[in-house]
Amino acid sequence: MPLKWDSDPKGAPVQAGAFSHGPGAPALAHAVLWPHRSLPRKGMAGVIGFAFVMILIPMLPLLGSPILWGLLPFTLGAVWLLWFFLERSYASGALREDLTLWTDRIEIVRTNPRGPEQRWSANPFWVRVSMIETGGPVDNYVTLNGAGREVELGAFLSPEERETLHRDLEVLLHRLSR
Amino acid sequence: MADAAVHGQGEQDTRGFFTRWFMSTNHKDIGILYLFVSGFAGFIAVAFTVYMRMELMHPGVQYMCLEGARLTAAAVGECTPNGHLWNVLITGHGILMMFFVVIPALFGGFGNYFMPLQIGAPDMAFPRMNNLSFWLYVAGTALTVASVLAPGGNDQAGAGVGWVMYPPLSTNEGGWSMDLAIFAVHLSGASSILGAINMITTFLNMRAPGMTLFKVPLFSWSIFVTAWLILLALPVLAGAITMLLTDRNFGTTFFDPAGGGDPVLYQHILWFFGHPEVYIVILPGFGIISHVIATFSRKPIFGYLPMVWALIAIGALGFVVWAHHMYTVGMSLTQQSYFMLATMVIAVPTGIKIFSWIATMWGGSVEFKTPMLWAFGFLFLFTLGGVTGIVLAQAGIDRAYHDTYYVVAHFHYVMSLGAVFAIFAGIYFYFPKMSGKMIPEWIGKVHFWTFFIGTNITFFPQHFLGRQGMPRRYIDYPDAFALWNYVSSWGAFLSFASFLFFIVAIFWVMLTKQRTAPANPWNEYADTLEWTLPSPPPEHTFEQLPKQSEWDKAPGH
Repeated sequence: MPLKWDSDPKGAPVQAGAFSHGPGAPALAHAVLWPHRSLPRKGMAGVIGFAFVMILIPMLPLLGSPILWGLLPFTLGAVWLLWFFLERSYASGALREDLTLWTDRIEIVRTNPRGPEQRWSANPFWVRVSMIETGGPVDNYVTLNGAGREVELGAFLSPEERETLHRDLEVLLHRLSR
Repeated sequence: MADAAVHGQGEQDTRGFFTRWFMSTNHKDIGILYLFVSGFAGFIAVAFTVYMRMELMHPGVQYMCLEGARLTAAAVGECTPNGHLWNVLITGHGILMMFFVVIPALFGGFGNYFMPLQIGAPDMAFPRMNNLSFWLYVAGTALTVASVLAPGGNDQAGAGVGWVMYPPLSTNEGGWSMDLAIFAVHLSGASSILGAINMITTFLNMRAPGMTLFKVPLFSWSIFVTAWLILLALPVLAGAITMLLTDRNFGTTFFDPAGGGDPVLYQHILWFFGHPEVYIVILPGFGIISHVIATFSRKPIFGYLPMVWALIAIGALGFVVWAHHMYTVGMSLTQQSYFMLATMVIAVPTGIKIFSWIATMWGGSVEFKTPMLWAFGFLFLFTLGGVTGIVLAQAGIDRAYHDTYYVVAHFHYVMSLGAVFAIFAGIYFYFPKMSGKMIPEWIGKVHFWTFFIGTNITFFPQHFLGRQGMPRRYIDYPDAFALWNYVSSWGAFLSFASFLFFIVAIFWVMLTKQRTAPANPWNEYADTLEWTLPSPPPEHTFEQLPKQSEWDKAPGH
């Protein structure tokens, strides 16, 4: 699942009034969310290697002939194009959202593939987490309301994954005394 | 931060006609565009052949006269044969059919529309590149048609060198028609390569969660293998024809023997592309047929994994058998033996596929709906063409059959009948999904039976002509070949009538029928993801990833 918590969100309750973000204490919880991509990196290396080797087959008999230089730009160009576009496809999935929670601060950093980084932070005491099951842009649309803004979280996940995310967030925020 | 966007999801298509169809980046719209344009190009290419069959109906030359091409037969002595026109039509038919009809219909049309749906992707990986592929293809088609009309060799219009463009014929052809044809193939190549990269990326990186490679439906697999064939074969062709272009225009002699070039090397390179090309043509057809047969036998496809590996094996073997197209160029005995054996090995994976289809039907509840009829036709005709392929693969026998009508009959059985029957199976199978309208069964049945009978009457007698020794690519023939040519021409007219009937009928259905098709108009064995969507599908699909339970029906997983 493209959602990873550094620690189990269902831990012990946290003492009240412990200001920990200010003094630079470690975060209570941290999660990374990213969109699903079905090709692992090793798979991509295999794909490019395969294309390169296969396209060399018609090249080998041409060694020593001027025809080689006529064909080489086209065949290697095709392999390069494949590499370029696979990288582009990964880049479009390079989107990630980092959720970090301290006792006195919750922060979401969204790193976009192209375009600036987006940030939101609030005091978790006031944050309301809600999930709109139907009628949102996607089913089980998870939003956080705080610091005067309502932001979405994990809109690229599947509905079931957002349901888990919502449950985890609720549990986590309830561990803070409020 | 992405601010939350909460509002009603009243999604509706607000694009105007021009925006939707001319600037489309939607894989479903582009797929439909591909189908229409390839149908149009197919009509031109078929019209060429009907004119050629008119000419071949009787010995002597009655229609293609130097005095002017005619539509009514000329009296004896009124007509000077115009071989150039004949050659131009053959070339135009070949180039259109090989590059601009079958591949765009199967790979561009059905591939674009259904591959992303079957793997649960919201669109192709690169929607705008998809649009570019399509318009490159349209430009290529236009250039091909232009090359038929542009000034060419023999001080007439058009290039008459054959779709293979062998030098020195192609390097010496006058005029600039040949250059247009080469550019057309370039554009087609660029379009196909970009399309193939798009398909490969989509297939590899956008499958639904849990859909591992060997759970992907067979049609998507066939598109994936085809994309690899295109990616590996078409750059080679592009390089070869670029050198032809410089030979023609910049005085190089890569292939021109007058300057020390090697024309046989061109043949090797051309067929290194050309043999994978015929699998590019037929493999997506295999994919469609697999789904049609499984659906109308009410059984899951027999032997999913062997079917996938057979696709891969056919693709791989397709790259190492090219010289069986050119046994007569003077290769050593060892080379010929290798190519002969390698060619016959292809019968093994092909046999796996044919027998798996038959085994799928075995014990199933077979229903003769129109798509299934076309699938049956495909199975029968493709196997027949495959058997004559085994005959032609024998280097010794090929000495007798090379460049005779036997070869013409063979490749029309596998490509014209095999691939085209697969296209029609796909059209009747997927039309309700694409348009939401059902085609009345009687239309499909009339179309099928006239086409099946017509094409068989056209091409089966050509085996006899080939065995009698009638050479291909000639405008005229001795009286001894008159009977079967006459029969063959009548078959061509019947097939053409059937094609016209289909065009009229399909437009009638599109214009007059209501959108009544349910999400799945067939049965529960049409179990891939596209059948879970409404017919026609909304503009945007699978923006949320589908659940595994929606597509994972195969008991073998």
